[in-house]
Amino acid sequence: MEQQEKQLSEKESLALITRMINKAKDSYHDTGIGAMMWGAIIAICSLVKLSEIHFGYKLPFDIYLLTLLAIIPQIFITIKEKKEKKVRSYDDTYMDYIWLGFGICIFLMIFIVNSIFSVWGPVATEYRELTGQPSPFRFNEFISPLFLLLYGLPTFITGAACKFKPMLWGGIFCWVCCVIAIYTTIKVDLLLTAASAIMAWLIPGILMEKEYRIYKKEQANQHV
Amino acid sequence: MFKDLDPILHSQLRLAVISILISVKEAEFTFLKEKTNATAGNLSVQIQKLKDAGYIEVIKQFKENYPQTICKITKQGVSAFEEYVKSLQTYLGTKN
Repeated sequence: MEQQEKQLSEKESLALITRMINKAKDSYHDTGIGAMMWGAIIAICSLVKLSEIHFGYKLPFDIYLLTLLAIIPQIFITIKEKKEKKVRSYDDTYMDYIWLGFGICIFLMIFIVNSIFSVWGPVATEYRELTGQPSPFRFNEFISPLFLLLYGLPTFITGAACKFKPMLWGGIFCWVCCVIAIYTTIKVDLLLTAASAIMAWLIPGILMEKEYRIYKKEQANQHV
Repeated sequence: MFKDLDPILHSQLRLAVISILISVKEAEFTFLKEKTNATAGNLSVQIQKLKDAGYIEVIKQFKENYPQTICKITKQGVSAFEEYVKSLQTYLGTKN
């Protein structure tokens, strides 16, 4: 821009407004690190759980505790990203609330599932003792669809709001897997959960990170 | 009868700043400088004029021991920008 206060024609003004709005819109670039991390963790947890069931062994701890541990690096990632950001869009605020709400829903869902298990568990055990057969209602086969239902929502909204198609399709993929998982065994459910985590977060995260590196490189070249 | 265009906004750098700020929630001074390719001095002067007109809010704070200036558009700024665009459209005959 020139040092003087250049007076513009009406056409120039409109062109300038359009150019600047586009420049501002183009400045949103997520690092994708958080998405990659969560995609990898959920996929690992699901596959480890699957191997525990398939090979009949048990780890000394619940593998899903990894998700609790992952909150610590996530906090650091969020703080670092916020510090690096020179601009805050309206979408950023909504996205923060959507993912925070998602986190709360996940923990509430875990609480609900555990509460149901604590009531249903003794009933199922008694049924097995009395009849000598496993309970016809296997609640654990319906857990994965409930979580997949939740996984899809913020992923789909983020993909749509940020016009990032891999995430939009990732969200849809979660919902498709959710429907399939209602009719499949727990082993297939865990495979579907791992596939959903990879499709919804890991792959989009890798693509975002790639885009972010290109953007950073372009920025660096502009300042040389 | 054509309305006069707002003289505060009808200037290249100030219009560029307001156009960026209308699209985002808030932006750092360095971001505005980068996007407008303006010099720090000139940008400071224009930002001050926008602030004096009540079109933007300027927050000065420290970030890791360095001064940080954050700019946000105000409600008055949004109305002025909308009015300015309406006037432009009238001039250009894109709106009756």
